[in-house]
Amino acid sequence: MTVKGHQIAPLAWQAATVVALVALWQWAALTHPAVYLPPIGRVVDGYIRLWHGDLLANALLPSLYRLATGLLAAIVIGCAAGIALGSLRWLDPWVRPTLEYLRFIPAVAILPAALLVFGPTDQMRIFVIAFGSVFPVLLAATDGARRVDPILLDVARVSGLSTIERLIRVVLPAALPSVFSGVRVALSIALVMMVISELIAADDGLGFYILRNQRLFQTANVYAGVLTIGTIGLVLTLALLAIEKRVLAWHRGWRGLTETNRG
Amino acid sequence: MADSTSVREPILAVENVSKGFNAVGPRILSGMTFRQEPGQFVAVVGPSGCGKTTLLRCIASLMQPDEGEVLHRGQHFDDPPSWLSIVFQDYNRSLFPWLSVRQNVAFGLRGVDARDERIMKALQAVNLDHAADLYPWQLSGGMQQRCALARSIVVKPHLLLLDEPFASVDAQTRIDLQDMVMDICRDMALSTLLVTHDIDEAVFMADKVVVLSTRPARVVEEIAIDLPRPRDQLATKESPEFLRLRHHVYTLVRQQAQRLPRED
Repeated sequence: MTVKGHQIAPLAWQAATVVALVALWQWAALTHPAVYLPPIGRVVDGYIRLWHGDLLANALLPSLYRLATGLLAAIVIGCAAGIALGSLRWLDPWVRPTLEYLRFIPAVAILPAALLVFGPTDQMRIFVIAFGSVFPVLLAATDGARRVDPILLDVARVSGLSTIERLIRVVLPAALPSVFSGVRVALSIALVMMVISELIAADDGLGFYILRNQRLFQTANVYAGVLTIGTIGLVLTLALLAIEKRVLAWHRGWRGLTETNRG
Repeated sequence: MADSTSVREPILAVENVSKGFNAVGPRILSGMTFRQEPGQFVAVVGPSGCGKTTLLRCIASLMQPDEGEVLHRGQHFDDPPSWLSIVFQDYNRSLFPWLSVRQNVAFGLRGVDARDERIMKALQAVNLDHAADLYPWQLSGGMQQRCALARSIVVKPHLLLLDEPFASVDAQTRIDLQDMVMDICRDMALSTLLVTHDIDEAVFMADKVVVLSTRPARVVEEIAIDLPRPRDQLATKESPEFLRLRHHVYTLVRQQAQRLPRED
């Protein structure tokens, strides 16, 4: 823990850096006007317009809906499949070759195929987001499930738990720390796939908003859209960390103890 | 008790049990045979690495023996049965770190009436009722092992298996835990099977000590321990009978330890 007084100095430096960067931009925009360098004020205007009214409904919310649905599907599927795969060893030879192959396909490459299958629909975009972000969760869950202490599984067997109950009550909680690190990776991939999926055959969403404003040479709006995506990523990451802190409080306590014991 | 069999069948009969790493590899257990009567406290001792834990896993049905069988009141069983519970050696690996002490004890108590009451009674029996809402990693080693003990007795087992339960705690805690386990076994009229490498502990706690050979393990001798109960850490351990039995068991185990593992 840092004492409050010690935190102020770095915070001031960080704020100063941001202010300096913004000032540099504004100075450059005013002295060397160019299409790609709009004044800060117009970017801020565009940014604020994205968070209410028509643009909220037509750009931000559709994107957030696709992102949330795709990511949730990836987490549920990745967790379930990963835990089954990590615990049920006999599944491994059946599933692993396919999985190892699929994970090397960049999610972007699946986009044209998804467009053929689903058409230019929400389902297509949700599928692409889920496809891209499922693998980090799946691999992390598999890894976490493999490393469950066999003694805990023995305890569960002696307590009369069935295989399914062991997976849910022992393997899943034990794998959660690993799953959370997978979800953090999945979140950034999901953001990328959200934007890309909205660049193709879309009529709403943030990706579409950025693309249209680029075609209209509304550079300030393009940057506003980009900054909005950054904001979404930041807020979701912070939310994820907050959830993790609550759900995995036991893990930090437990790990802290084993580490002090070792030392 | 509802069990009114005319002939008192042993609570546990290990009949000629053999077990190897695999079908062709060297054997760990070889023709192991012994019996445990209801209410009896049996301690299994032997040189380290002789296969005590393998024996325990076979008894608990966590493993199936290659030959022979394990019977409970004359009956064969396949899966870990509900009348049996185990306390493992590594308390810091056998408790669920994401569950509180209370939840750890409740684990495996399903569809049981008066759950909270039974959990609190089990926690009181191990003197841990004040720590019910703490997590395992907030407890000392001895407290963690007491939590594991509470989890084992809350299901009211017929047979309690203890796999070197006091091996990883300090000497004072070990003595306290020994007394606590003996009190609980007496109060609940439990049949208890203790696996240990500590000869003093085996002679002090048990009604019968089963001495195992080096690998592949078989029973060398069964020694009845007729020391009066309740036993006292000082009075019992200073009695001539205790010293004589301890000497006898110690000699047997040392003879085994000095022999090279037999080729089978």
